[in-house]
Amino acid sequence: MSAPLLQAEGIRVSYGRIEAVRGVDLHVGAGEFVGVIGSNGAGKSSLMRAIAGVLSPAGGRVAFGGEDTTGQPSHRMVARGLAMVPEGRMIFADQTVRENLLLGGYSRLRSDPQGVAADEDRMLTLFPRLKERLAQEAGTLSGGEQQMLAIARGLLSRPRLLVIDELSLGLAPVILDMLFPVLAQLNKEGLSILLVEQMASYALSVTDRTYVMENGRMLFDGASRELANDPRVLDAYLGRRKAA
Amino acid sequence: MEAILQYLLTGLSVGSVYAMVGLGFYVMWSAAKAVNFNFGDIVMLGAVLTVVLMDVGVPLLPACLGAVAAAALLAAAIERGFVRPFNREANAIGWMLTTIAVGTMIESATTALFGSNPRRLETPLVEAPLRIGGSGIYPQELLLPVALLVVAVGLEFFYRRTITGRAMRAVAYNRTAAGLVGIDADRMTLLSFGLAGLLGALSGVLIGPVIQASATMGAIIGLKGFLVAIIAGIANARGVVIAGVLYGVSEKFIEAYLSTAARDAIGFSLMVLLLLLFPQGLFGKAEFKKV
Repeated sequence: MSAPLLQAEGIRVSYGRIEAVRGVDLHVGAGEFVGVIGSNGAGKSSLMRAIAGVLSPAGGRVAFGGEDTTGQPSHRMVARGLAMVPEGRMIFADQTVRENLLLGGYSRLRSDPQGVAADEDRMLTLFPRLKERLAQEAGTLSGGEQQMLAIARGLLSRPRLLVIDELSLGLAPVILDMLFPVLAQLNKEGLSILLVEQMASYALSVTDRTYVMENGRMLFDGASRELANDPRVLDAYLGRRKAA
Repeated sequence: MEAILQYLLTGLSVGSVYAMVGLGFYVMWSAAKAVNFNFGDIVMLGAVLTVVLMDVGVPLLPACLGAVAAAALLAAAIERGFVRPFNREANAIGWMLTTIAVGTMIESATTALFGSNPRRLETPLVEAPLRIGGSGIYPQELLLPVALLVVAVGLEFFYRRTITGRAMRAVAYNRTAAGLVGIDADRMTLLSFGLAGLLGALSGVLIGPVIQASATMGAIIGLKGFLVAIIAGIANARGVVIAGVLYGVSEKFIEAYLSTAARDAIGFSLMVLLLLLFPQGLFGKAEFKKV
């Protein structure tokens, strides 16, 4: 197998004296759909932020597309083909849905305006609810619509790897039942996805492979299908904590 | 009646300068959540550099353009050198000191090089006053509200219709999210300070012929621009324009009916009072707190 699309080795993230991520390895192959599960405060988001360039890791190495990208700022990572849908969605609430989509294509707006327009149409087919709301300020959207917008915005940079941090946060199951198949479909079309998810059952049902993270460390990883029946996962993440 | 018209017109004129300078503060604050506290020096340089360029034989209009461009570049350079390195952490306040320090240096250097005497900035628009209903006003003074209107509409268009303007708003709304769609937030902040510098220097060039150009002319204008921005609620451009014009007009009435000496004391007291009553500014809303 050739070098994976994303390779993170020994990543450490600290906030002052607090170490949130303590030497973590993770990789995503081209076309792979990878999940990271773990309880709240396990360091999942910090790890994603270090990978996407939102923060600089205190230690370790990130390689994307075969090149060392450790410490590269997020806007450069987007240009390299790594887009992240951040925790809490972070849509531009004071701009319209259309403007949010336009800004999603910011990195290639000047070089490929037709491509951005075409992808915008594709997103509206993917998420028809956004079509009705194009001229509305994004802040007026429901939580589920905002998540659709955040995903569409991320996709408009035409990434090779889409990182999604806490897809399910604050969303109703009926929305999740709609969003997860869309991600599975995008993955089938060739997009690599790295999904951080507290709702382990959802993550395990769509991903190929899953990492389990606790206290800033990776506990273990494996094929999602197997982990779904693994007693360690059943106890901690799937048992009575279905809706955690 | 004629007197009142006179106060209204001159107030509108000087208020337009406060509004334009206030808009500069708005533009800086939006992008950086920090400002150049000595922004008045950029205003001053607009006027002083025009005089200097005309001294060496450059005609009026090219001199104005050159001065505004140079001052705007300096405003951007101040962001790079004196704001960005001191505004890295959330709630950083180092930029307050450093921008005041660099402003003081600019002012001293200007006094040393330009001299401490105010100089006239000659334009054809201050040769003879116009008579409007018995009151006299220079065409230059009428140019100010027109310029404010153009600047305000232009700024609105820029922020709402251009991709760079939208990117700046994205940075203002959420820096992290802006980075995640591929916007270089640092670059947008640099551009914002340059844009603010354009507004500041332009207002300096426009008011220069009315009040004369000097190394110290910017200090009080900058302060009042900051004041109207705060009073309006610094995140509201329209509010800044309204507050600026109102403040200018109120000043003229205080001058006329009370005294020139008391003008700033009363004006500033009123502002403090307003701020007590409206802590978020007249047109502001609570700044969105991000964790």
